[in-house]
Amino acid sequence: MASKTIAKDIITLRGSAAIVSEFFGYAANSILYNRGVYPEESFVKVKKYGLPMLLTQDDGVKSFIANLTAQLSEWLEAGKLQRVVLVIMSKATGEVLERWNFSIETDGEVVEKGVSREKSDKEIMREIQAIMRQIASSITYLPCLDDSCVFDVLAYTDTDVAVPFTWTESDPKLIANPQMVKLHSFDTKIHKVDTLVSYKNDEWDEQ
Amino acid sequence: MMLRTPPPKRPRDNIPIVESPPTASDRRLVIYEDPSPLAGPDSSHGPSDHMLCTYQCRQMVKADFFDALDNAEKQVREYQSKLEELNENFLKAEAERKKFRDQFLQTEQELAAAKGREEALKEQLLKEVHDSQERLRKQIQTCSELEVKFRNEMNLRLKAESAAISAEEKATLLEGKLSHLSDSIEREKKHFNNELIQLKRESKFSVSRISADLERMECRANNAEKESELLKEQLEDLKKQLNESLHQKGEVEKNLSNFTFQESTSTESTILVKHLQEEIRNYVSWVSDALVQWIMPMSVRYYIVMHVNDLSVKRKMEPKVPTHLQLEVKAFTSCRSSKITPILARTGACDGACDIYEAEVREARKLKSSHENIDLLKEKLLEEKGRKEKAELELSKLQEVQQSMNKLEDELSSWKSLMKDIPGVSCSEDIPVKFAALQKEVIDSMMKLGETNAQLKKMEVALDDAQLGKRNAETEGALAKEKAEVSESEVKRIKLTVIIGLADRVLQLSVVTEERDKLRNVVNEIKKSKNDDGGNETANQTLIQELESSLSKKDCFIAELESNLREQQETNRRQRVEIELLNERLNNEARRIKSLERESDRLRSEISLLEAKKARTYQLLNTIKLGHGDFSSANTKVLRMVNTLAVDNEAKQTIEALQTELQKTKEKLQAVEELKSQSGDSGKLVDSYISGKILQLKEQIATLEKREERYKTVFADRISVFRRACCELFGYKIVMDENQRPNGIPVTRFTLQSIYAQSDDEKLEFEYESGNTNIMANEYTSQREISRQIEIFIRKMNSIPAFTANLTVESFNRRTLS
Repeated sequence: MASKTIAKDIITLRGSAAIVSEFFGYAANSILYNRGVYPEESFVKVKKYGLPMLLTQDDGVKSFIANLTAQLSEWLEAGKLQRVVLVIMSKATGEVLERWNFSIETDGEVVEKGVSREKSDKEIMREIQAIMRQIASSITYLPCLDDSCVFDVLAYTDTDVAVPFTWTESDPKLIANPQMVKLHSFDTKIHKVDTLVSYKNDEWDEQ
Repeated sequence: MMLRTPPPKRPRDNIPIVESPPTASDRRLVIYEDPSPLAGPDSSHGPSDHMLCTYQCRQMVKADFFDALDNAEKQVREYQSKLEELNENFLKAEAERKKFRDQFLQTEQELAAAKGREEALKEQLLKEVHDSQERLRKQIQTCSELEVKFRNEMNLRLKAESAAISAEEKATLLEGKLSHLSDSIEREKKHFNNELIQLKRESKFSVSRISADLERMECRANNAEKESELLKEQLEDLKKQLNESLHQKGEVEKNLSNFTFQESTSTESTILVKHLQEEIRNYVSWVSDALVQWIMPMSVRYYIVMHVNDLSVKRKMEPKVPTHLQLEVKAFTSCRSSKITPILARTGACDGACDIYEAEVREARKLKSSHENIDLLKEKLLEEKGRKEKAELELSKLQEVQQSMNKLEDELSSWKSLMKDIPGVSCSEDIPVKFAALQKEVIDSMMKLGETNAQLKKMEVALDDAQLGKRNAETEGALAKEKAEVSESEVKRIKLTVIIGLADRVLQLSVVTEERDKLRNVVNEIKKSKNDDGGNETANQTLIQELESSLSKKDCFIAELESNLREQQETNRRQRVEIELLNERLNNEARRIKSLERESDRLRSEISLLEAKKARTYQLLNTIKLGHGDFSSANTKVLRMVNTLAVDNEAKQTIEALQTELQKTKEKLQAVEELKSQSGDSGKLVDSYISGKILQLKEQIATLEKREERYKTVFADRISVFRRACCELFGYKIVMDENQRPNGIPVTRFTLQSIYAQSDDEKLEFEYESGNTNIMANEYTSQREISRQIEIFIRKMNSIPAFTANLTVESFNRRTLS
């Protein structure tokens, strides 16, 4: 029993990678729902992180996110992933409107030596919950996306990473002179994920 | 029997006590049946008694004696125990003494250690003092060096200021020179302009004059040439005539000689001579007329030329009319006087022609001189041209000067604009002042910076020192605390031991005094009894001596103990003083520690503030870095997941469109079929094709269904195997079913039943939901024992397997035991 409780608080690299990649999946779903990239009716509610989360039922998006999280998990386990960016672009013009930035700091010692760290699942879940709440509440200050939009996922990796079959090298799709809002971050003691959303300056605000 | 007991037994109670010592001292039992040893002494006192003694009496005496013996034995035992006690006390006292000595030694050692520590502290302090002195010396040295540097800096500054002032003076001088130069340049420019204009005018004038002169001279030269040609022609004519006349003269002379020979011809010859003379006169008059005709204008012209030359030399204009008149008058007079009159004078002679020739030569010379004049004029013209060139050169220089002037003006304007740009500067004089102020400001700020840096360094050094001191003090404090605790406990112990010792001493003393008194009493009584029965004297004396010696020993021992006690008290006092001192030191250390802690708190707060600032700036930086999404291509590359969703959407849309189209075509087909049924066999062909297709599809469906069935059966087999194995291995039958909550979230429910369950109600229900498993409340789980186990295993320890395992073991036990 005691060993079980201790085992609960220990986190390994693989476990951490799983948590982080799962988080990306849910975060992407939440962003796509909250920003109205896909229609509301294509999402179903599930309970996760102590919150009702919305998951897409669109097969294409589902498989896309599944592939994404699998690949991210692989990179996270290798400690090669520096940042993941979910870019929301205008479908008509291709202009970048929002960048959801998840920068990742990996504990090098864990990757190199395979040691484990101590942090309880509950604490991590609480931190992730805070981020999810912030993502859900971001619609209050983010500008409305009037046009129909598409999304894209960028991964900032180490240069020695082999480009997988379903990935291509890309430009960073930056926004010129963006507005930035920093969200909460969470830390599994192996991966630290800082969340930040940057979006295009609203011209009406400037005038 | 009771009556028979003799009444004087009670007063005899004391006797055995008196009598017992010899028995006690002898430690020999006297047996009644053996009357011989007793007979001796008794016989001396009262043989009648012995003789009178009845059995009862004997028994009584025996009993008395036994009583006395018992008492004596008891006393002996008591004494022995007392002695042992005393010995024990003595041993205790010795042990205590040893203990005290040990303590004393320990305290001495501690004292020595304390002294050693004190010395070490003193040494440390001395070292610190030395260090601080050295530091002070170094600082003083650095201070002096800094002062020297400061002086140097000041000197340099003064030099720089003087240099600045000299530079300013130079600048002002240069400005003055510049202005002067600009003035002089302007003046020169004006002067040159004036000169240029004048020169231009003069050159124009002189050119026009020279050209006029030239023309005139050319005309004159042409005329002169023409005249000379004419004159040459005339001369040739005259020569011819002269030759003719000479020939005629020769002929005449020949004729004359012939005439003289012949004399006949004299009349004729005179006539001929007359005729010839007339002819000659005619000829001369003609020649003179001709000469008068062409010599006049020549002379006039000559004079004009001369006059022009004079004019050109003088460069002054004279009124024209009077000069002309004068010229004409002069020409006439000169002609008359110098040329015409001699010619006229020579008209009468034949040799007049030579004179004319000479005059011609003179004319030619004059012409030559006029030519020379022309050369002179040409030279002058060249000179004028040179001057003109010089003026042009000067003009180009002037342009250069103008350019430089423009440059200077530009510079001046730029300086002026710069002056305008500099705030608080209205004129050029303000600039140096401003510069000086700015330099001062810079120097001041540099000094301030240096000061702040020095202060910062000092602060850092102080901080380091304080931290070191704090650490030292903390360690010292900890040591002192430990020491204090140890000493306190020691003090307590010592106090306790002292109190105990004192109490023991007091008790011992009291015991000993009591004992002494008792012994004294005993001695006295023995002495009395000795007096009473002097037979025991020798035996008693030794006893007394022994007792006395023991008494004296005891006294000595008491005295020793007392002295020990005093010593202990003294050492106690000393230790107390030491403890007080240590306490004071401890208090001091505690105060110091507190102050250091306060300082460290302050420093910590400062550090935390700085760290917070640092963190904030770092966060800001991070945010900026993060937000922009910049990256260095050296260690990062950006990958994009190929997103075919948009394409998929398009594909979907096309599929939908196709489906709608298909629907439409189906509808059309239906309509066609309806028509076909109406119209007969026209569409049989199509129908057969479609039916074939349908059959094919149906077959496909059938095979797929079969396969599905097979999969289902295989899956059911496998799952039942798995379930059975689970049940066997873990002791629980697990039933799973899916549910949905009212809010639409799907939930999986697991019902577990132990294979050792005694009733069907013993079921555990769990809800599994996105990685979390929760136990559900039911009748079985609400039992006291089960709920307690749930509380312990699941709620506290967070382990469901442990709970189920425990439950399995318990129900197994129950089953097997029952």
